[in-house]
Amino acid sequence: MARTKLYTAIFVVLMVFSTTQAFIEQTDLIENAYWTAFGVIIGLSTIKAVLVAGYFQHLRWEPRAVTYIVLGGLFAALALTTAAAYSIL
Amino acid sequence: MSHGQDHGHDFPPMSSVKRWFVTTNHKDIGILYLITSIFVMLLAGALALVMRAELFSPGLDFLSSASGYNQAVSAHGLLMVFWFISPFAFGFANYIVPLQIGAKDLAFPRLNAMSYWAYLFSILLFVISFFQGGTFAGGWTMYAPLNIPTYMPNVGGTSVVLALIMFVAAVTMGSVNFLTTIYRMRAPGLRMRDLPMFSMSIFLTVWMMLFAFAALLAALMILGAQHLVGVNYFNVDGGSLLWTHLFWFFGHPEVYIVFFPALGVMAETFQTFTGRRIVGRKWFVLAMVLVALQSFIVWMHHMFLTGINLQIKTLFMVTTIGISLPFDLMVFSLIYTMIKGRIRYTTPFLFSLGALILFILGGITGVFLGAVVLDYEFRGTYWVVAHFHYVMFAGGTALVGGLYYWFPKMTGRMYNEFLGKLHFAVYFVGFNLLYFPMFSAWETPRRVFVFDTSMAFWHKIATVGAFMLGFSFFIMFYNLFKSMASGEEVGENPWEYATTAEWATESPPPLENFTGIADYRGGKLSFLSESEANAAASGTATDGGTATDGGTPPAEASTATGSGTATGGALATAEQALATRTVESEPEHADHASYWPLVVCFAGFLAFLGLSGIQQGGIYYGFAGAGGLLSAIGFVGMAQESFHAPEPTIAEQWPFANVPNMKLGMWFFLSSDVVLFGGFIGSYLFLRVANGWMFWEHELIPEAHVTFPGLVNTYLLLASSFAVVLALVAAHKNSSRGIVASLSATWLLGVGFLINKGIEWQHLFHIHTDAFPNGWNLATNVASSTFYLTTGLHAAHVIVGLIMLLYMIPRAMRGAYTGEDEASLEYFGLYWHFVDIVWLFLFPLFYIL
Repeated sequence: MARTKLYTAIFVVLMVFSTTQAFIEQTDLIENAYWTAFGVIIGLSTIKAVLVAGYFQHLRWEPRAVTYIVLGGLFAALALTTAAAYSIL
Repeated sequence: MSHGQDHGHDFPPMSSVKRWFVTTNHKDIGILYLITSIFVMLLAGALALVMRAELFSPGLDFLSSASGYNQAVSAHGLLMVFWFISPFAFGFANYIVPLQIGAKDLAFPRLNAMSYWAYLFSILLFVISFFQGGTFAGGWTMYAPLNIPTYMPNVGGTSVVLALIMFVAAVTMGSVNFLTTIYRMRAPGLRMRDLPMFSMSIFLTVWMMLFAFAALLAALMILGAQHLVGVNYFNVDGGSLLWTHLFWFFGHPEVYIVFFPALGVMAETFQTFTGRRIVGRKWFVLAMVLVALQSFIVWMHHMFLTGINLQIKTLFMVTTIGISLPFDLMVFSLIYTMIKGRIRYTTPFLFSLGALILFILGGITGVFLGAVVLDYEFRGTYWVVAHFHYVMFAGGTALVGGLYYWFPKMTGRMYNEFLGKLHFAVYFVGFNLLYFPMFSAWETPRRVFVFDTSMAFWHKIATVGAFMLGFSFFIMFYNLFKSMASGEEVGENPWEYATTAEWATESPPPLENFTGIADYRGGKLSFLSESEANAAASGTATDGGTATDGGTPPAEASTATGSGTATGGALATAEQALATRTVESEPEHADHASYWPLVVCFAGFLAFLGLSGIQQGGIYYGFAGAGGLLSAIGFVGMAQESFHAPEPTIAEQWPFANVPNMKLGMWFFLSSDVVLFGGFIGSYLFLRVANGWMFWEHELIPEAHVTFPGLVNTYLLLASSFAVVLALVAAHKNSSRGIVASLSATWLLGVGFLINKGIEWQHLFHIHTDAFPNGWNLATNVASSTFYLTTGLHAAHVIVGLIMLLYMIPRAMRGAYTGEDEASLEYFGLYWHFVDIVWLFLFPLFYIL
């Protein structure tokens, strides 16, 4: 099955990105530019999540409306978190 | 054959007690919801009368203890808001929505039964809490820190938290079920935009429920953990504010969750009893959609008196004023419908009209509270009590109208109109005697039973009104009981201008609702035979032809007739393709009975009862153990049971035409789970901001908490996800050995994840450093609490997945999951990958940053 290679490649990317995140923690970046490191690390997690959802969960091949269901929940969670955190800044 | 007579498929008749314990039929479940919620109303209403008796004069001391009053206030609010008004509305939703959309039942009948039984047992748990040293006494909003064990030490207080968790589980099951049903099981030609108004209102309600209740669940699970294992959340810096954020993120949409079904009833009854399609229907629906969306961005107007910053207060004042605008449109639409039509003052209409008047008063007085400066004055006073009841109870008023409206459909008999009108008159006068004086006595502090003597006059009137309002319901009970036995028999449609599909079938409807298959493609409701449906299904996808407004304009179209047809309103051109499936020519058998939902929920009840007092041990261990054991038996029994709930042979399914019911249901569930984890992760981030982001890392976390265990677990979980993918690949190749090997690998990797976590936790529990001489455990500080609880919730998800695998692997060994059966494997994969995704964020947040 042709997709097996694709899935394997994605798995490798996921493992590499995870290792990279742990590696960043060992570098000076997190000491000297914490919020840059924060952005990079969370960015990598986001890419990984998109890969798992898009390919392992097959969202890429589902009707777009299914993705919107998930995005709805995500939007609600982000709205709560960001607005709540901002309210005490 | 009527609903009452039909007992095909070995299904007990309605006269059999057994039927009510095993039924999964949506109409039966609807009736169960209605009856149960009315009992709750009686209990919560009695508590309200006790409160009003106490408030008859200042210092009366009727209840003889402050705690008694606090318990009465809290239990009244919690029971009315959670356990009465929405379940009452969902009694109608269960009964009516499948009929209105032309479906035979909900998508997941057993899940629907589970939802009801979880609701029922959550009530029992609540009632038991009164006898566990007193029930929860911290108000229905359960504000922190009053809600924490320090101030709410009774087992009863914990039971209420657990009862609410069980209730939210019921709500989530219901939301997933209704969303899947409405999206996937509409009659051909019935487009989403053409849903009858009541079904539309329920559709938007369940969308709000899906997300709002997930946020509440997060709050309740955290609170439950604080009671049971002593984590630090709502007792630390920012903890009280965190509760208000979580609660009101749920709480404000809850206002519309309560009110929308009522709005749907009002729209239906206004159309039926003015003989006029609702004016500006399209805009009315758009306004409802807008409110549903806006409801999630106004919650902080409940927090103007807290320490949140002025910028956000101002922003939320603007969004709050903004949400009143679509409501203005809806109110004017209803008023114009009356002006344009010819009103028939029946009991259902009177209650709907009454609800509109009450809601207008409630809405106007609410605008005061939406303004920051005015809210400083009004917050925490009887102004809020009055406003709140004018809004929420206005919803209740419309729902009482709904009970009269659909009573003939449910029973086949007409109620007594005179007694109905008498009920309305006593109800409406009682209501306003009760609540309007509260605006005059607004300076009375809320939740306090001692008040200034200058307001005694108004409180005396309110108490008289309360008893009058309570008495009015006994007129209704007498009327409905008597009419059920000896009321005039009605045919399919007793209302001259009712046009929605529930009026195009017998009263009460047969078990599977219609004698044919509902079809709107001809521009009006008609019924196809099985063979016609199959012929249509085997044809190519159509453009849907024309579709009708599902619930509609009698004055513009012919009316529902006794011959089984009902018409809608204006013709609309279809834009979407009609999704059809080719099926066998014979109608599929559907099951309607299962006792496993009852068993599973009873087991859950026992487990929660045991948990409530687990710190006291003794009999509570027994309850918890029995509940756990019975749960395992129940779930296995349910999984093993052969229960068939066929998808419709032909249905309108946009925009999920190629997504099977089970898969769509799973996605809705996962979306709700996103918000649940969002609530946990958001709580962690909020508390970290409140306590100082870097201070958290430097002062609250030990050196021993390192990245490596988290990285190893990331590898393990990613590998397990990949193994599930390989299982699906093996299923495509019909390789049973491949499936077994892949699932076994998934299981082993998952177990490895838990073992690694166990080792890590054990190490952290027992560290001895200057900063943490007693280890770093759940209760050490806010950082440890958020770490263990959030990753613990994730671990619980992993454990659930592993239990599922223990069921699936032996099945795979027997050849399951190949061919058409591979779908189950895919659905498990959706869950497992989701658990994986969550970890992808927990890893950096709790181990790196």
